[in-house]
Amino acid sequence: MNNAILKVSDLKTYFFTSRGIVKAVDGVDFELRRGECLCLVGESGCGKTVTALSILRLFDSPPGKIVCGKISYDTLNLTKCSSKQLRQIRGKDIAMVFQEAQSALNPVLTIGDQIIEQIKLHLPLDHIMARDRAITLLSEMGIPSAERVMSYYPHQLSGGMKQRVLIAMSLSCDPQILIADEPTTAVDVTIKAQILDIFRELKAKRQMSTLFITHDLAVVAEIGDRATVMYGGKDVETASVSEIISNPKHPYTSGLIDCLPDTSKSTGRLASIPGTTPNPIQMPQGCAFHPRCPKVMKICSRQEPPETTISKEHKVSCHLYT
Amino acid sequence: MTEMLPDKVRRISQHLRSNTRLINYYWQRTKRNKLAVCGLAFIIFLVALALIGPFFTLDPTVANFEKKNMPPLGFTIEQSIYNIETDEYTTKEISGTWEHPLGTDSKGRDMLAMIVSGARVSLLVGLIATGIAIILGTIIGVLSAYLGGWVDNALMRFTDIMMTFPFFLLLVLIIFIFGPSLAFIVLAIGLTGWTGIARLIRSESLSLRTREFIVAAKALGASDNRVIFHHLIPNVISLIIVIATLSIPGVILAEAALSFIGLGDPTVPSWGIILEAGQYSLNTAWWVAVEPGIMLFLTVLAFNFLGDGLRDAFDPKSNV
Amino acid sequence: MGKSWLRDYIIKRLIYTVIIAFGILTITFILVRVGPSSPADKYLANLAARGQDVAQVRAAIEARYGLDKPIYEQYINYLGNLFQGNWGWSFSTSMPVIELIETHWIYSFQLILLSSLFAAFLGILIGIYSAVKQYTKTDYAFTFLSFIGISIPNFWLGVMLILIFSVKLGLFKTYYDTTLPLFSLDNLKALVLPVITLGTGMLAGYVRYTRSAMLDNLRKAFVTTARAKGLPERTVIGKHVFRNAMLPLITIIMFDLGSIVFGGAYLTEIIFGIPGLGQISFNAIFANDYPVVVAVTLIGTFIVLLVNLVTDVTYTYLDPRIRYD
Repeated sequence: MNNAILKVSDLKTYFFTSRGIVKAVDGVDFELRRGECLCLVGESGCGKTVTALSILRLFDSPPGKIVCGKISYDTLNLTKCSSKQLRQIRGKDIAMVFQEAQSALNPVLTIGDQIIEQIKLHLPLDHIMARDRAITLLSEMGIPSAERVMSYYPHQLSGGMKQRVLIAMSLSCDPQILIADEPTTAVDVTIKAQILDIFRELKAKRQMSTLFITHDLAVVAEIGDRATVMYGGKDVETASVSEIISNPKHPYTSGLIDCLPDTSKSTGRLASIPGTTPNPIQMPQGCAFHPRCPKVMKICSRQEPPETTISKEHKVSCHLYT
Repeated sequence: MTEMLPDKVRRISQHLRSNTRLINYYWQRTKRNKLAVCGLAFIIFLVALALIGPFFTLDPTVANFEKKNMPPLGFTIEQSIYNIETDEYTTKEISGTWEHPLGTDSKGRDMLAMIVSGARVSLLVGLIATGIAIILGTIIGVLSAYLGGWVDNALMRFTDIMMTFPFFLLLVLIIFIFGPSLAFIVLAIGLTGWTGIARLIRSESLSLRTREFIVAAKALGASDNRVIFHHLIPNVISLIIVIATLSIPGVILAEAALSFIGLGDPTVPSWGIILEAGQYSLNTAWWVAVEPGIMLFLTVLAFNFLGDGLRDAFDPKSNV
Repeated sequence: MGKSWLRDYIIKRLIYTVIIAFGILTITFILVRVGPSSPADKYLANLAARGQDVAQVRAAIEARYGLDKPIYEQYINYLGNLFQGNWGWSFSTSMPVIELIETHWIYSFQLILLSSLFAAFLGILIGIYSAVKQYTKTDYAFTFLSFIGISIPNFWLGVMLILIFSVKLGLFKTYYDTTLPLFSLDNLKALVLPVITLGTGMLAGYVRYTRSAMLDNLRKAFVTTARAKGLPERTVIGKHVFRNAMLPLITIIMFDLGSIVFGGAYLTEIIFGIPGLGQISFNAIFANDYPVVVAVTLIGTFIVLLVNLVTDVTYTYLDPRIRYD
């Protein structure tokens, strides 16, 4: 069967600012299956980060609000459950790793303090056991002299180490789901490779269900099982990674794939998608992508495309296929 | 290339005029802060009061013992008067009159007139003393930042020393030594209050030197002169304006405090001096203490509102 | 690991402090010498007013204080005297200046301590609350009130409090009594209005600084991380955000000491008749008792110097980013 561990249905998260309503997430559907790595792909501003934050309701709540939608996890609906229930899930059942390890760690607390804090919050361990557990985790993440690192402060570690610490911290309570928000974006290439290795191992050894957010299709190809492409706050195409790369249906997805530099050619311009990401306060009418779409039709500027099923595992929202 | 002074002045004023769009931009941002606008309105009112007020009010130095301790308009108090001949106290009710709308003090002087001339004093002290402090602080700050080396070191050590003195204690000491004339008070406040300004100007100048837009301008071939006048000064001016606006209240309060403890210039009717006399007649004439205090409070408040609004307007990172 | 580094830093700072101390003494000396009337003149004017023979006393003083000697010798004498604890003679109270200070400093200390505690405790709490509830009506109210708090002239506030509470309402009429123990009930009652007077300005400052320091940190990424760990909000704010906000706050609070607190305490003591250093300096001014005024200024300055040193070292010790570099 489907084996879905997390199911997001028609999620809409809006930000009510003084300059207008920002429809950051405007109708997103996807499901995360047990043991798989699902990638949320898209340019910056497409709403993928806010989608991830919405799962654990971590966005700033005075301007932001989930206006509709359902996020099913276990027996709960995460969009409607109480803060208390949400806090029990955060860090324990569903954990999140953030983009810039640089600023994601508290600069005035030791690494050990920050990890142990989380362990003791969710697990019934005393300080010594929690500490041992933390040290074990750090070593598993490939951090040398883990015991000494426990008393370090974040600024004493390199970028790659910090990222590992963040991942270790997120795994400290054996979560069922790991949400990773662009963990490879702010690091250089060598560290990127190391981090991807970690994620591969996580999937292999722990069968971790991962929601991996990125704008980099190359990363998707390396690490994802399935992918959901997002644009303008909506999901536009969902399929397995191999299917999406070899047989993209949505013009935006094809555009993204074309953007990847072709190392077989030594000359020629780099392809790019013309235009810029839409202003989230003033989205284009109809299909959000239509101003930049090479295959635009009349109906695209008037009606939003419904979701079409191409095959059992391949869905697309585009008028070309309705 | 040596430039003649008149040409230089012309160039700078031309530069400032061509920057009206910039000035307008900052003004728009400031306007959105309602408190700042209120503050500015009050300050303008105060300036007007100080400039033309004295022509419309009675003479504040005229003492009229018949009319001493009259309450302000709308208030009625009981005064007890001692009659030497009968050795009795008789009580009499006195109400405020339009002739002395803010009442009179223990010597029968008109409160309104005193408050108005006090406005003049406070504003003058505020402007001049702040001016002195700013000029001194800016010179030291800029010199320190640009000359660097041992000059910077020496100037900053000197600033540290002066900064360690508690402002008010040093002021009291200086006035005690040199005597409480208004000129000295203004000078003393200016000469003791420049330290914070020097620090701020120096750090801003230092950071501006290495900021990318300066480096970019130089890379594009701009001369030192152009860099200083076209890029640095507009950035520092906004800082100076904000500092000045926020320093004035401290200066006004310093003069008032000095007067309050009796170290003010007795020949000048400042709000502090009125307050000082007022604190001894709280029982009989409370308005003498209340009125100058309210004026001081509102003035300081106005400058604080305005200064805060200006600071937000000039800061590109704050969304106004 | 970083322990010897800290010791080196402390030594460096101490040397620097000594240099500044000398600078302070020198400037004070210059001020006194440059003044139109020397300390002797003021003393003599006092004597003359009481009808004593001036010329003879003048000669004696000049001989004793070496006022006829060259400047640098006077400077050395001055420094020497200070270090030996000879801070001059207060003729208005007929005792050595040092004794005067010894008997009165405790009252200033008590006033400043109580006011600081009052201001810090309330101020930080309100500041945190205001920051967390930014853009709400409560935040706007507190912000507006803090504007009022820093704008109200503290000497006028004192007089107003006396007017309202003592004169009109008849409360708080006790005066500070030095014959009673420091923390006796009567004395504490007498301190209520002074503490409010001195504390209000400080309070408003604390609220503003805390609020802005908290706001700076509330938007940072590690706050989201802390929430994502499942921590209750009060831990997120109280442990994670606050520890980051407190660091710069310490330095700012200490800097205020010299500019706001001492001046305010001086005025508050005078208004409420608290027999602290401000009060005796004030009395000395009108008795033309030069040495006392100079001494109080110097004491205030050295306390500021000391507090700056302690704060600097404390901050350096507390901020891990500086410590382990």
